[in-house]
Amino acid sequence: MSNPLLQLKDIRKSYEISGTLYPVLQGIDLQINRGDFIALMGPSGSGKSTLLNIIGCLDTPTSGQYLFDSTDVSRFSSSKLAEIRNRNLGFIFQNFNLIPNLSVLENVLLPGFYLGQENISKAHELLNLLGLDQKLNRRPNELSGGQRQRVAIARSLLNNPDLILADEPTGALDSKTGQEIMNIIVQLNQKDKKTILMVTHDRNIAKMAHRIINLSDGKIT
Amino acid sequence: MTSTSIILKTFRLAWKSLVANPTRSFLTMLGIIIGSLTIVIVVALGQGAKKEIEQQYSSLSVTTILINAPSTVEGAKSKLSYKDVSELTPIQSLLIVVPQLSGRVQMQYQGNSSNLAVLGTDPGFQTLANLNLLQGRFFTSEDDEQRNKVVVLGAVVAEELFGSRTADVVGKSIMVGKKEYQVIGLLEYKGGTVGPTTIDDSIFTPYSVANRYILGINGRFNINAQAKDVASIPTAIDEISTVLRQSHNLKPGMNDDFRVRDMGTTVSSAVGSSRTMAILLAAVGIVVLLVGGIGIMNIMYVTVTERTKEIGIRKAIGAKEEHILIQFLFEALIMSLLGYIIGIIFSFLVYYLLIKFEISAIAVWWSYFLSLAVTLGIGTFFGYYPAQKAAKLNPIDALRYE
Repeated sequence: MSNPLLQLKDIRKSYEISGTLYPVLQGIDLQINRGDFIALMGPSGSGKSTLLNIIGCLDTPTSGQYLFDSTDVSRFSSSKLAEIRNRNLGFIFQNFNLIPNLSVLENVLLPGFYLGQENISKAHELLNLLGLDQKLNRRPNELSGGQRQRVAIARSLLNNPDLILADEPTGALDSKTGQEIMNIIVQLNQKDKKTILMVTHDRNIAKMAHRIINLSDGKIT
Repeated sequence: MTSTSIILKTFRLAWKSLVANPTRSFLTMLGIIIGSLTIVIVVALGQGAKKEIEQQYSSLSVTTILINAPSTVEGAKSKLSYKDVSELTPIQSLLIVVPQLSGRVQMQYQGNSSNLAVLGTDPGFQTLANLNLLQGRFFTSEDDEQRNKVVVLGAVVAEELFGSRTADVVGKSIMVGKKEYQVIGLLEYKGGTVGPTTIDDSIFTPYSVANRYILGINGRFNINAQAKDVASIPTAIDEISTVLRQSHNLKPGMNDDFRVRDMGTTVSSAVGSSRTMAILLAAVGIVVLLVGGIGIMNIMYVTVTERTKEIGIRKAIGAKEEHILIQFLFEALIMSLLGYIIGIIFSFLVYYLLIKFEISAIAVWWSYFLSLAVTLGIGTFFGYYPAQKAAKLNPIDALRYE
């Protein structure tokens, strides 16, 4: 029985640049169920970043419906969208996107700060699990790439989100470290039953997902 | 987590980013430091000047009228003279009219010698200047008529010659110029002046004695009078002018060769001009603060641009516009507040130096609140726009920013 976490219905997005409309997404229909692990592939300019931004509630579609947990969020205010990002979504970026002047622990605690529940024991637990318990007070620039990405994973998990959005999570890492990070992501899906949407270029990495979605010229092929 | 602890956390966050860049933060605060310092010091100086003026004129009541002869450009000698005292005495609206012949002369008692002021006047001066005797008596009309070489000492004179403001001086003899004088009285310490004369630094002798033996034509002559009451001052001034013009044979159209001033007007105009000065300087302080605020705004804009990426990250993980707004507003406010505190610390130093160099300054509590209020107002006003800009950033663009 399917259990949709999110549904996209005829999502379109176009940008207007000096009077001309450039369509980026041309009618996306997509359903992601709870527990899914989906890889999103496509060449540059195919619209995968835009799609990820819309699913990640960082952007709103020009038209179409986006149901997140049965709620239409496509017309939500920026404040409401921030709440969804905070409570229901976890981001993992290619370049880690940690805040340089905060310690590892403070970075991980940040989503809790904006939630209004600073769950310190949860942060410790996550950092322990990811093998970073010795690095709590380090700054991100004192860590290796793999360690930084693990900090970012811990941060994405702090508020116990429904959906993890990973944008090229291994893109800035060597292949061995990339493999370690992918193992963690696979574990998140298998053991913790997290729903995962991952953008990648790498076919070998995409194969670890349950399902691969190819995007080309703003359409799912 | 309560909202107070969110505010505390945000405060800590803002603080951290300021400490991360101490030199820049300090330079940014400089305008605020100087501005808040200026306001406090200017108010203290204004209060000091006001107090000094009040003290200076405290020995005279507002009904006192000063008549002097300004030195004219042409160098023409004024005809104001001792004769005018008797001309003015009959005026109904005046209670007392006394001559005042003043100058400086060398005085000596045993080993102590000093150049001090001498004032030759009539016994009525004691009432007019409201002088209280600590010892002995003031001179009398007989002393004047008989040209008795008697003097009454001001408190500072006693200190200079006898080593104490309360020394036992009555009956002692001092040298004034080349002659010996007998001390008949000692005045209480007063603080303040009568016209050109500082009471405490002067000795007082009968007019005839000062004129004949001590000062003569080297003395500065003027006349002091006291009106019956405040209401009769204008009439008194008119009458004095009429009498003096007649006595000096001034024809209609000729300028007065004397000047008549009443104390009430003099004091209030002095107080008024010192207040104008204080307001002017306080305005300068506020302008400095405004410029400081613009400095904060500039740096906050730079900071927001530099930290665009951080803002994007914070937004991606759920920061709302108001979270970002408050964070940056707090940074501006902390800088203002810190600038204020440093400014106030420096103001204590400046205040100490002013007092040390005997510049009259009186610190007043409300100047600190005024300075604080202006500082915080400026911090909020100029911090708001950059903070607003940060809050409104589009998270996607901000995340992409390198």
